[in-house]
Amino acid sequence: MPGRQLIMSFPVTATSHALSEYRERGGYGALAKTLGQLKPQDVVKEVTASGLQGRGGAAFAVGRKWQVVQYDDGQPHYLIANADEGEPGTFKDRWILENNPHVLLESMLIASYALNVRNCFVYIRGEFDLPYRRLAGAVEEAYAAGLFGRNILGSGFSCDIVVYRGAGAYVAGEASGLLSSLEGKKGYPRNRPPRLTVKGLYQRPTVVNNVESLSNIAWIISNGAEAFKAVGTPKSPGTRLFSVSGHINRPGVYEVELGYPWMKFLDEDCGGVPHGRAIKCVVPGGVSSKVLTGADISNLKLSHEDLWDAGSTLGSGGMIVIAEGTCMVALLQVLMRFYHHESCGQCTPCRHGTGWLHRIVDRIVAGDGRSDDIERLYYISKFNDGTTICGLGDAAGYACSGILDKFRDEFEYCIEHKRSKFGGNLECLRSS
Amino acid sequence: MPEIFINGQAIEARDDQTVMAVAREHGHFIPYFCWHPQLSVVGNCRMCLVEVEGRGLDIACNMPVAKGMKVFTNSEEVQAHRKAMLQFITLNHPVDCGICDKAGECTLQDYHYQYSGQRSLSHDQKVRSTKFYNLSNRILLDNERCILCLRCTRFTHEVSKSMALGVERRGDTSNIRPVEDRPLSEDPYSDNIIDICPVGALLSRQFLHKSRVWFLQPTPSVCPGCARGCTVQLWHRKPEWKLKALDQRQNESIARVTPLDNPAVNGPWICNKGRDLAQVFERVRADEPMLKGRPVTVPAALDEARRLIGAARHAVALVSNWGSNEELETFKDKLGEVFHCFVKEDWQPQPGERLEDDLLIRADKNPNTTRARELFGHAEPGFKDGTDLVLVWGEGFDFARLPSRARIIFLNSYLQPENGHADVFLPVSIQTERHGHYTNFQGTVSAFEPCFEPKPGVLHAEDLIRALAAPARGHP
Repeated sequence: MPGRQLIMSFPVTATSHALSEYRERGGYGALAKTLGQLKPQDVVKEVTASGLQGRGGAAFAVGRKWQVVQYDDGQPHYLIANADEGEPGTFKDRWILENNPHVLLESMLIASYALNVRNCFVYIRGEFDLPYRRLAGAVEEAYAAGLFGRNILGSGFSCDIVVYRGAGAYVAGEASGLLSSLEGKKGYPRNRPPRLTVKGLYQRPTVVNNVESLSNIAWIISNGAEAFKAVGTPKSPGTRLFSVSGHINRPGVYEVELGYPWMKFLDEDCGGVPHGRAIKCVVPGGVSSKVLTGADISNLKLSHEDLWDAGSTLGSGGMIVIAEGTCMVALLQVLMRFYHHESCGQCTPCRHGTGWLHRIVDRIVAGDGRSDDIERLYYISKFNDGTTICGLGDAAGYACSGILDKFRDEFEYCIEHKRSKFGGNLECLRSS
Repeated sequence: MPEIFINGQAIEARDDQTVMAVAREHGHFIPYFCWHPQLSVVGNCRMCLVEVEGRGLDIACNMPVAKGMKVFTNSEEVQAHRKAMLQFITLNHPVDCGICDKAGECTLQDYHYQYSGQRSLSHDQKVRSTKFYNLSNRILLDNERCILCLRCTRFTHEVSKSMALGVERRGDTSNIRPVEDRPLSEDPYSDNIIDICPVGALLSRQFLHKSRVWFLQPTPSVCPGCARGCTVQLWHRKPEWKLKALDQRQNESIARVTPLDNPAVNGPWICNKGRDLAQVFERVRADEPMLKGRPVTVPAALDEARRLIGAARHAVALVSNWGSNEELETFKDKLGEVFHCFVKEDWQPQPGERLEDDLLIRADKNPNTTRARELFGHAEPGFKDGTDLVLVWGEGFDFARLPSRARIIFLNSYLQPENGHADVFLPVSIQTERHGHYTNFQGTVSAFEPCFEPKPGVLHAEDLIRALAAPARGHP
């Protein structure tokens, strides 16, 4: 076990996702405590004091986001759980939705109570089938038990929930794109200002939180902010779910206490790299975070501050381990194909830049690389950074320049020799 | 009133303004494609990136002013980014200016020369898309030229409210497409999207490949299509580019009609009917005076008209509400005592035409009813017994309604069957051949200017009225 467990703290069985078992684990105790003893401001204070950071990628403090919403400004407020988990390599929210959906619902009820929300939404990725069925089942159970609807637990607090299935756009996982999609429009992200907490869904104050961020709320209310801060490091309190994939012996979702040594986690908990190969690099948190080489991570701890110092980020917790002998040019091609395919096409740099990156890398892989291609890849990455409406353009640039920074020689080799240094290999082979 | 600094100049801005608005007001030009003063902000072209001290780059069109902010619209960083944005925009653009109708008034072309001038840095194939997509019976769409600024979709959503256009697919294969159940052909304002398109993606079928725009010049005019009196520009060939061979009718025809931005009347929009003014003005013209259908000289026709007026005991005039303020006033002044005057409605709504809406279109399909009614009253035309002379000015009045014994003096511009039935027929000039003013339904007066010379034998109505009022023989 990589440290303490807050969300994955129970053995998964065929029925562990049901309301009855969730109640046996103490579920909905935090809701009863909230509705019975706490004022909405107290909840916001507690969450702010816990220092909980967003788990979707940007690690923005949840409490600070909530504080922007004025409790009684006379407008309807909305809360949205962002379950449109589309970042390549990331499948942690899926675990919560499949195995512990009630912790999300309970936390959303607490958050709705704190933020004066009458209607909350879960925007769930369209491709999620079992997670959707589990979540929809949980919502049904909760309604039947009087946990949603009017006058919840006799407190006078009312709240309804809608589960909305997305239609398969990566960019709809971006908070404002999600809102456009939820409103029934094309999932185009919106310009800031205004911030979503000022004008979000239907032009009303809206809080969009990641499923995992929200799922921590119930624990924080039950156990208090101080107990939460005691987990993890001072700058990165709590735990994080990591979805580990790639060249690793035991891929899957792991809950890791922040501050846990990275290599220890990979070697002991995840079983290390197959065939005893060395780690070439690791994508720490979804492909939009910059890759780190095996040498980079050897002494790092899994915490926000360590990753920021190393020039990357924990991102969405989608960790992809890449073993020695993998062709980074082919890897970049896969990534660029993804960004090209998923660019929404709203703003200029990303609409054309992602396609341009993709075509250049395609050409290099095909053996038609030109001497100015690397310079051009950097050029496109640079002018996608900070010039787009949402982060997709930036992310494509980071992914590209991140890999180029560390593995430029492979690209130069591929351009010069018109073939890959590692045979275009993406598998973890037994021998080289 | 926050004070902000643009390129070092201290400016008092209003709280609700964006940096784009302040910069435009104070003469700091920031280039843009998607921004439009009458449409909502989408901020997707990223051309208006400016640098704010301490905050880096952001788009000016969506940047609220903040006290003390220091904006730089032309720093090195901004210039580099503009160049890059133009690289991105032209990456998949066909750059077929040579055969593009927009060339010469294309924002992308202008910005390329002004801010970039660089060759494309790409060595790869461009993304191909649809050419000449049929948006409606009036408009073609070239998706390869489209830069997806979404001005057209926003126009149909926010101004004309037809909701006719949307975006299909995503990424660099995004295409503007009509919405299935909302045809653009039913939007009476659809042609405005051709004007607001910053590139040559939206093409007027009527103007397609008719002329290069630099051969044309605009003349300010007023649309006579309804009582709104939208100010327009009539585009026709420049004198130095007159054709000496081929189809010389082009020298005397209206190539296209565009709105003349006028916040008091129509803003930057006009309706499709206004675009089709050539269909009104370029009907076959009458250019010879006639007596009972027999061609005569102008002096002979005038003599006969004056004789009829002198001999009449009870004369009625049906005054055209297509007459300019000047003509109507001259008529009132010179002939108001001689004739008993009524205002005649020259044009009635056509079948299928939109009668009225809350954007521009008015139910009264004549340009100057307001001034005509002020001068000649609101009575409907009526003929007392003993009416022995009727002067009909302008088209659209059924001669069967005239008293059977009355003699008729007819002033008209077009070749119509009634011309031959009049005792005296006098051809008059049309709006594109004279100066004048119209007063619209709100009382706003707008001026129109001539684009072409009238043919010999065709008189200006104002001169003709003076000549008719002159007691003695004489040439007008």
